[in-house]
Amino acid sequence: MAETGEQEARRVATEARNRVRFEEEALALADQVYRVARRLVSTREEAEDLVQETYARAFRSWRSFTPGTNLRAWLLRILTNLNIDRGRRKQRAPDEQPLEEGDYFLYNRLEQSTRDGNVDEERVVERLSQDDIVGALAGVPHDFRDVVVLVDIGDFTYQDAAQILDIPIGTVMSRLHRGRRILKRELADRTTEET
Amino acid sequence: MAGYEIDPCEKCEEVMQPYLDRVLSDAEVAEAEHHLASCAYCARRYRFEESLRRFVRKCCDEQMPPELKQKLAALRTPL
Repeated sequence: MAETGEQEARRVATEARNRVRFEEEALALADQVYRVARRLVSTREEAEDLVQETYARAFRSWRSFTPGTNLRAWLLRILTNLNIDRGRRKQRAPDEQPLEEGDYFLYNRLEQSTRDGNVDEERVVERLSQDDIVGALAGVPHDFRDVVVLVDIGDFTYQDAAQILDIPIGTVMSRLHRGRRILKRELADRTTEET
Repeated sequence: MAGYEIDPCEKCEEVMQPYLDRVLSDAEVAEAEHHLASCAYCARRYRFEESLRRFVRKCCDEQMPPELKQKLAALRTPL
């Protein structure tokens, strides 16, 4: 049955309203999307480009978003795909095997480098600087870093991270656990003697 | 993989991440907590991990540049 002029006008108006709502909701998440993007790439400029490209694509293909589902995860899925498309994987040596120690390694190192061996476990992190953390995270290979950033900085669940990266949840868990251990080993390399 | 009866601290180190992520079964949580209650060595390392996670999050909280927000808003479909 052909649409009457009135029906068509109503449909167009509804669609415009839905689109405006989508765009507003997506923009309200931009801070959180940027925070994750910033740690997935090396520079601020790359992060800004990536976020802009993500939003341009999201606004073009807003109809493929299912209302009521996780919009932040949907945006991050676009972003991580774009990031992979940009060929960042080429930067990495294929046989790179990150060094990894146990989960207690960093604390043990900090304790050893404390003169009297008396460590306040709640305050010892203060011996690490923001630069140490950012630098150590950048030293974690991409596959592991993506998961650590999504879960520990982006606050995504294992399930969300699996969907965003299109990998099984078991892979999310193993990369997350290994990624955190690699991060701690990187941090241990940056710790200095207590002064 | 050693169990608590063979090398309790090693086992406790192994389950630290899933414990803090709250994905262990009730039985595994009970085992870990039983050990942690009597082992200051492991308990200190668990508390350190929690403060490390908070610290990492805080250090990585970089604000979006205000100009970027304007650029994104400009990408919206014109009405």
